[in-house]
Amino acid sequence: MIALETHDLTVTYHKRPVLYGVDVEVEAGSLVGIIGPNGAGKSTLIKSIMGVVPHSGGWVKVFGKPLADNLHRVGYVPQRESVDWDFPVTVMDVALMGTYGKLGLFGRVGKRERMIASEALDKVGMLPYSKRQIGNLSGGQQQRVFLARALAQDSDLYFMDEPFAGVDAATESAIIELLKEMRECGKTVLVVHHDLQTAREYFDHLLLLNMRLVAYGKTDEMYTTELLQKTYGGRLTILDEVAERAAKTPEAKHEI
Amino acid sequence: MMELDQDSWWMVGMSFLVALPCALLGVFLILRRMSLVGDAISHSALPGIVVAFAFVGDLSSPWLLVGAALAGLLVTFLIEQIHRHTRIKQDSAIGIAFTSLFALGLILIRVIIGDKVHLHQDMVLEGNLQHVAYAETVGVMGLDVPDSLIPAAVVAAGTVILMIIFYRVLTLSSFDSGLAASFGYKPAVVHYGMMAVISVVVVSAFEAVGAILVIALLILPGATAYLCTHRLKLLLVLSVLHALVSSVMGMYFSVWLNGKESAGVVVAGTGLFVLAWMFGPADGVVIKAVQRRNRKLDEV
Amino acid sequence: MMWELFNVGDVLALSLSQKAPIAAICVGICCGLLGCFVVVRRVALLGDAISHAVFPGVVAGFMWSDDRDPWVIFVCALVAGLMGVGVVRAIVTSTRLKSDAALGIVLASFFAVGVFWNSTQQFPGVDGFLFGDLTTIADVDLWLMVGSTFAVGMLVCMFLRPFRVLSFDEGFAIGLGYPVRFLNGLFFGLLAFAVVVALQAVGVILVSAMLITPAATAYLLTNRIQKMMGLSVLLGVLAALGGWYIASIDVRFQTGPVITLLAAFVFACTYFLAPRHGVLAKYLRRSGMKSRVHRENTLKAIYRIIEEDGFKSSGVGVERLAEVRKLSFEQVTKDGQQLVRNDEASWEEGKSALYLTSSGWRRAAEIVRNHRLWELYLTDQADYAADHVHDDAEQIEHILGADTVRKLERDLNFPQFDPHGKPIPNLETTLQMEKAAGKQEETGY
Repeated sequence: MIALETHDLTVTYHKRPVLYGVDVEVEAGSLVGIIGPNGAGKSTLIKSIMGVVPHSGGWVKVFGKPLADNLHRVGYVPQRESVDWDFPVTVMDVALMGTYGKLGLFGRVGKRERMIASEALDKVGMLPYSKRQIGNLSGGQQQRVFLARALAQDSDLYFMDEPFAGVDAATESAIIELLKEMRECGKTVLVVHHDLQTAREYFDHLLLLNMRLVAYGKTDEMYTTELLQKTYGGRLTILDEVAERAAKTPEAKHEI
Repeated sequence: MMELDQDSWWMVGMSFLVALPCALLGVFLILRRMSLVGDAISHSALPGIVVAFAFVGDLSSPWLLVGAALAGLLVTFLIEQIHRHTRIKQDSAIGIAFTSLFALGLILIRVIIGDKVHLHQDMVLEGNLQHVAYAETVGVMGLDVPDSLIPAAVVAAGTVILMIIFYRVLTLSSFDSGLAASFGYKPAVVHYGMMAVISVVVVSAFEAVGAILVIALLILPGATAYLCTHRLKLLLVLSVLHALVSSVMGMYFSVWLNGKESAGVVVAGTGLFVLAWMFGPADGVVIKAVQRRNRKLDEV
Repeated sequence: MMWELFNVGDVLALSLSQKAPIAAICVGICCGLLGCFVVVRRVALLGDAISHAVFPGVVAGFMWSDDRDPWVIFVCALVAGLMGVGVVRAIVTSTRLKSDAALGIVLASFFAVGVFWNSTQQFPGVDGFLFGDLTTIADVDLWLMVGSTFAVGMLVCMFLRPFRVLSFDEGFAIGLGYPVRFLNGLFFGLLAFAVVVALQAVGVILVSAMLITPAATAYLLTNRIQKMMGLSVLLGVLAALGGWYIASIDVRFQTGPVITLLAAFVFACTYFLAPRHGVLAKYLRRSGMKSRVHRENTLKAIYRIIEEDGFKSSGVGVERLAEVRKLSFEQVTKDGQQLVRNDEASWEEGKSALYLTSSGWRRAAEIVRNHRLWELYLTDQADYAADHVHDDAEQIEHILGADTVRKLERDLNFPQFDPHGKPIPNLETTLQMEKAAGKQEETGY
């Protein structure tokens, strides 16, 4: 089954294209690493798939349907820095947020939701901290809480934005164990990752990105000099130049 | 010990009723780092009120709420327009938008309304709680309640109800708007909805405390509570407590020093904030210093 | 015209005093100069907080001086303003509260203290500081204002370079070894100074308008900070003078609000009409681009039709064009008219067919070449599937510059065909067709 399908997904920031026509089909049950240099649009790719960043062209299908119809089957773990860790909520509160999606606008948090959140926290080893304010956690613990929240969402397809950034080695290996476990349960996980060394052992599929899709496939097949050269070998200068020019030109997109 | 007469207690009630919704909304303003948008809205409610007043000629008309809510939305819209279409940043955009709307309101007061009624400029800035004492009374459950308390009570109750219903949505979209958006909560709807409710609350407080002191009612309770706790629900409760205590203390202050009641309430609230700043269990300066010392002693 | 000028002169002469315009100029200079840094440093609302924070200082000045001695008021207000800045900094550094909340707290609580204090004593005249009144300025006030303005101007000029670096990048300023703490202290001190100077003219509440609005207007008009400062001073002075003049006509108008509204009006005009950053200019540029793109698309369609026919003639029937463009007959006729007006095509008699002129040919060939080159680039070098590149090329073709095209040709090794196998127009064919078109023009066919 195809978990995720994008067609010609294009994203522009302030009229500057940051992602060009990405076509990708991800089989359900894969653990995918999204790899590429800085500014390659890795985070942008998952944000635009999630609809957090609007895309200017192309479409996304999740389990064969447009995203809006299958929103409840998708989980999103943003970058750790994207939220205010001084926010007055406890570890438990954050894990509970994962259940909000299924509750809808007016549902109330009940016993069942608490059970789900506790289980999720237990899985990442954060249950003993459930009453702590999130600001008093280490970077690795914060990331685990985020992961617990994603688990509480109980989705079939997950997008994670740099879950390994700034975490200790123990957390890193705990997270990857968890991700592999999720894959065994048939979940599909896409992870933005920047370390080429570890990517090889972590993921079964790789998505090489550099403003455009360089390649997507089984991890072993991706480790060719040619593909890596294409991914990391600098930008296509003319593509950049034209992007710059496009950004400066007034919009005239809908003109026929 | 000073005694407060009955009128003063009604004033306490009025000031609590207007401070309560402000406190609850203010908590989220602070968490969303938008305190100054509250500032902008409270200033720009003025032209909305004046224009609405010019049509209906009655300061307690509900149309004033509508006028001010529209003005509040207008100022948020103007801020958006200025900072999206030009290179002017948000803070300057806020400054331009609210000062000009406020100035417009001041001129409209003089030009349209003149000196006919007591929509006086002082009141615009500082409000006046004493209206409560001279107001007509309505019988509610055997009590003679001043009628200006009724709309304030309705607004307060409405805000509390909205807060309970949308507590989850507000929390999540303030904490992690990305996740909220992926759950299908529309960030823009939450934003503008909150601004509209703030505008309504600001107007309901307008007669009592004026356009500038209402900023204090919006921000001080939340900021004080923020220094005392790490839990959102407790934070909301504490901010309501702040509103209550400062209303009572403020009235004592103003009786004691023979000052203006509305300003007295804010001064009392400021005092509570300073206390929390020093001794707040979560983030007080003294508490943190003591903790640091203990840690040092432990290390030794 | 003369009579009108005369009238203005009359009013000036009749005005209560000549002090008011001088005071207005002082306010414009002070706020205009510092406002620029306030706007580019993104601390606009600190100005607002300071202006409210000085109010208890004003009340203290009334309290502690016998007959509202301007010196005492001035100093007290200044101290209160600086205390406000200090408290904002203290809150931000010692707690988790963010700067917006700190500004709000200082603004409202200082103001409330002032109001409360004032209400316990009821000094007459304090209200004048709330909304500002240029007409009641005393001699001493005026001397204070002139002196302060002079000092502010001097200091800003002296410290122009460090201030500029500081506003652009504080970290870099530290790296340069500038005494950043001192400079920041000086800057916020001057800001408090300017606020106090402007207090009498526009009042506590609207001082921030004088700081922000003229400077923000100037920001829309220029990119250079010196020019911006000049413009902002000019706009500030004009707003203050104009506001004072309007307020002197009708007693219902107070100087503060009128000055603020005037400045806002100028801002609004600039917002819409500024030559580069204005909304109208942007709109015009966009619609200009739109019509150019539309024209170029028509040219491209004509080229393709002629190409399909094997370059036999340089003309194309309007009906055929409408069919290819999927537009109505009327629309295409209008488009043709556009081309004719631009000297890129000419009508056959009866407007049933269009003939490209040589310049039309050149442009059409350019567009088609851009389109096909870009498609080739995307498939060849950026690894796109051939069915993806058309839409992108549809947009890019209109914005590729000559140098980029040359680079593209070189990178692609001067290709002959696009990914779909169609020939890319090159110089030779273009010249050939141009000549043919030129002949047509001469012979009238």
